[in-house]
Amino acid sequence: MNFWDKISSLDRRWIYLLVAIAVILPLIFPADFPVRITPEATQLYEAIEALPDSSVVLLTFDYYPSSTAETEPMSFAALHQLFRKDCRVFTMTTIPLGGPSIAERVTRTVAQEYGKQYGIDFVNLGYKANYVAVLKGMGTSIEAIYPTDNSGTPLAQLPMMQNIRNYKDVSFIFAVADNAIVEYWISIVNAQYGTPIGAGVTAVSAPKYYSFVSSGQMTGLLGGMKGAAEYEQLVSKPAIAMKGMGIQSLIHLLIIGLVLVGNIGYFFGKKKGTRGISV
Amino acid sequence: MTGIEILQIWIAAFFTLAIFSFLYRDNAVYKFAEHIFAGLSAGYYVGLIWKSVIIQQLWEPMTRADNPKWYLFIPGIIGALMFARLIPRISWVSRLALAFVMGNTAGVFIISQLHGLILPQMQDTMLPLLNGGFAGSLLAFITVIGVISTLVYFYFSKEHTGALGVTARVGVWFIMISFGAHFGYTVMGRVSLLIGRVYFLYNDWIGSLSHIF
Repeated sequence: MNFWDKISSLDRRWIYLLVAIAVILPLIFPADFPVRITPEATQLYEAIEALPDSSVVLLTFDYYPSSTAETEPMSFAALHQLFRKDCRVFTMTTIPLGGPSIAERVTRTVAQEYGKQYGIDFVNLGYKANYVAVLKGMGTSIEAIYPTDNSGTPLAQLPMMQNIRNYKDVSFIFAVADNAIVEYWISIVNAQYGTPIGAGVTAVSAPKYYSFVSSGQMTGLLGGMKGAAEYEQLVSKPAIAMKGMGIQSLIHLLIIGLVLVGNIGYFFGKKKGTRGISV
Repeated sequence: MTGIEILQIWIAAFFTLAIFSFLYRDNAVYKFAEHIFAGLSAGYYVGLIWKSVIIQQLWEPMTRADNPKWYLFIPGIIGALMFARLIPRISWVSRLALAFVMGNTAGVFIISQLHGLILPQMQDTMLPLLNGGFAGSLLAFITVIGVISTLVYFYFSKEHTGALGVTARVGVWFIMISFGAHFGYTVMGRVSLLIGRVYFLYNDWIGSLSHIF
């Protein structure tokens, strides 16, 4: 059995082990990798910078706990920028499992850093079922959809929400999502009410949204952990996404190497009449 | 870090490692974690819907003393009809509710998809070919070629031979490049999720040891 035959019959668990090592090593020995900021991330950052101070911004937490590695750093970075600009932020989620609690934890953590008060500077509306009805209904009345905030306090008792009736009172929507909900924010809210929308999405769903940026239906886009790292750099708050870029680069190199080895193994295996690498 | 926080971290770490153990082979610990997750999710979801929809948006507005919205009993009854599926003899009744949902959804989506997705995207594709210098014109040209050839690939009313076949093959190349971009992003996304979990184990779980000892 020559080298390529051994490669062909390699147990896939060895590859899992290699990937695990490639993740763990940079954590123990961190290395900085440069992050090039894309025009889409810059566009999103500049759109928010151009908002007048104290503008009302809706930040959505449309993601499950399973994707927080990609999306949560975006929420943190967005809140740093919004609170620094003294924007009034209200949050909501269309995700039942974890959405409301993630929104509470993230907003309260960043708000504390900037001395922001709940009900005056920010409000968490929480979750409501049936996102289509929620997105459409908020165009008429936010209070009709969310009679209370996430803690059960009636919106009428929250000073910040007194003058926020519907999308007309919202200057910008920053949607952070791990699913197709951004498409509905575009087609239902941006198209019908004209509210500008920027989004931070998972890498899996990022490619399809570039055409919406190009058509002007979206004002900026962050794609995956790389997008989060770009935004952390733009708001000068490097955190977990920036740290992850070093690991990301190393694993990508490993995957490229494995693809090359796999193809070479397949080529030699084919020449010898076998099916090639099986991992 | 409080004792409760440390306990939470250790429970989360246990379930993370339990799920990762599947990478070695299917095992009882993985199954246990999987079932706990499914059960917890279902229970949490039912509780959340009960509170945020049934109580907050149906029962309370209907029964409040000041300006009660009694007419909400109509969507309430329509919703309840869904449970008719559980009784085989009258399961057909649930179709009334389903028909309402389908009709409503179709009505909302036809307008929003047409007005919000199809027309703006088509408009953005109809570019002047000579615009924005050499680079702009080149991109516009590639976009137009890509759109036409991809559409031709999905045109099945005529056999893909001759000029139609060549155009369709160009379309396949555009589709493959698109798949490649999606695949690259997918790999990056999955790696990011792994990084997130390993970062949690290294930073929070192993880090919590310093608070214990």
